[in-house]
Amino acid sequence: MTTPNGVATTTGELTLVSRQMQVREWLLAAVFFLCAFVAVLAVALIFTFVGYKALPIVTEVGLWPFLFGRVWASSEGLYGILPLIEGSIVVTLGALAIGTPLAVGTAIFLSEIASPGVRAIVRPAVELLAGIPSVVYGFFGVVMLRPLIGRLTDGIGFGPLTTWIILAIMIVPTIAALSEDALQSIPMGIREASYAMGATQWQTIHKVVVPAAKIGIVDAIILGMGRAVGETMAVLMLIGGAAVFFEGIGSPMSTLTSQIVMDMGYSTGTHRTALFAMAAILFVISMGLVLAVRLISRDKE
Amino acid sequence: MHSALIALLVVCIALTGCGRGGSRAEDQVIVTGSTTLLPIAEQAAEQFQGLNPGTSVLVSGLGSSAGIEAVIAGTSGIATSSRDLKSEEEGRGLIDTPVAYDGIAVIVNPGNPVDGLTTEQLRAIYAGEITNWKDVGGADRVIDLVNRDEASGTREAFKKIVMGDAHFDRSSVVLPGTGQVRDVVSRSPGAIGYISVGFVAPRFTSTLVKALRVDGVKPSEETVASQEYPIARTLHFFTKGEPTALAHRYIDYVLSDDVQDGVVIDAGFVPVTARDRL
Repeated sequence: MTTPNGVATTTGELTLVSRQMQVREWLLAAVFFLCAFVAVLAVALIFTFVGYKALPIVTEVGLWPFLFGRVWASSEGLYGILPLIEGSIVVTLGALAIGTPLAVGTAIFLSEIASPGVRAIVRPAVELLAGIPSVVYGFFGVVMLRPLIGRLTDGIGFGPLTTWIILAIMIVPTIAALSEDALQSIPMGIREASYAMGATQWQTIHKVVVPAAKIGIVDAIILGMGRAVGETMAVLMLIGGAAVFFEGIGSPMSTLTSQIVMDMGYSTGTHRTALFAMAAILFVISMGLVLAVRLISRDKE
Repeated sequence: MHSALIALLVVCIALTGCGRGGSRAEDQVIVTGSTTLLPIAEQAAEQFQGLNPGTSVLVSGLGSSAGIEAVIAGTSGIATSSRDLKSEEEGRGLIDTPVAYDGIAVIVNPGNPVDGLTTEQLRAIYAGEITNWKDVGGADRVIDLVNRDEASGTREAFKKIVMGDAHFDRSSVVLPGTGQVRDVVSRSPGAIGYISVGFVAPRFTSTLVKALRVDGVKPSEETVASQEYPIARTLHFFTKGEPTALAHRYIDYVLSDDVQDGVVIDAGFVPVTARDRL
């Protein structure tokens, strides 16, 4: 390694040190590149693998009968996933409808209203919710919530309502944390200007801060949606596992994720291909959601 | 059910088993399959390992189909199955050893006034044709069907014996295990489910379920062994070809009086020898 300016070459030790440094710098850059590359590679590999395994569905079942078939009955060779797609949509939207107000309300409280002392208790509690394994949520739902819902709906208690409530609690930390970040990023000067105009706290939150943080909050909701669509274990334990269309908030249904888990242990042939195709659809949905977040965030800039 | 997780667990256990110093492949046999047979296979394994130090018998319950598939694939030494082989599984070199008999009890909530059903009524209920208890002599209440997942050997046997060509009502709740079915039925006034006779009596929990007479016969060890009770089946161990020496010793142990008159009866099943004694 030659140094173009004469400074380094005047003493041998200096050259030696700088060369070592250069190698070390280069190695570090390579290590970090590798870290980032592994993530990209993993996504690419999973996508290729799932896509490769899913592709035969086009010839074995046909894209239309698969996506819009109204009956999922693997034992009879019927692989229509429309009821499962409906199940995923019903579960996700219901959980969002319950969870979003809860989460955004939490975020507003933490960012705008809570005193530092209260915040120091509430925020870790909300963050803790994110750390609870989903099987624990599911177990809680089965043991505590299901009998109550069963009595309420005059049924067994498996179905959308039970799933909504548990899933709503599960997505609260995701939406609340990201919404709070969005609210915090609004400059203090904007709030001060609002107060200076004579606005009350509620008026400031309602007319100034939340509209200013709107895009960030929408991003948070979309990411919460991604969590709800992909949630598997808790949904599997609570939804009831019946691959049928919505019959009522207390009647069992099934979702794409829960059906994959329920069937993958014993599926073979076309059945297995169908499960991979369902996985591919989930992949596409989550890519769509990430893309939506990126597009919305770009609008902001 | 959560078979993938369990499969992963099995693999992990198997790997740690291999990794342990001194434990060679011939000292270890993996037993996979029916959740119905789990108590027999597990307790027999524990006792067997106690009697034969240095050996390891790894037992897991993934459902009969998963067990048979694992043995055909060679990832498991013995498959425990609560159903007979399907046509596509025959001719794959599997050797059958019946280890016990089992009856499938139809269970309802203890508060349900209905005491018995005919096979015909059961079929209509599970096909979704009869949807109210008042149509079979009960109270005016919707029947909440509880079914097992498709990997379940109990479901397989129930379908074969009771349903025939009729299809299960798809809107029924699907639960992945005997314990869950029992628990849900014991807590839901309008529910109906089916589990092995061995699991009807309360065990660790105090909740009760009521087993119905089917075609006038109450499910019991006697009526199952004598084949009077209509919904009964044979429980099998399958190996691919001749079992390895250790698997063979384990199977012999399961067939011995120690297990047959002990664990098998304790688990509520009927010993294979019972039919000879009748």
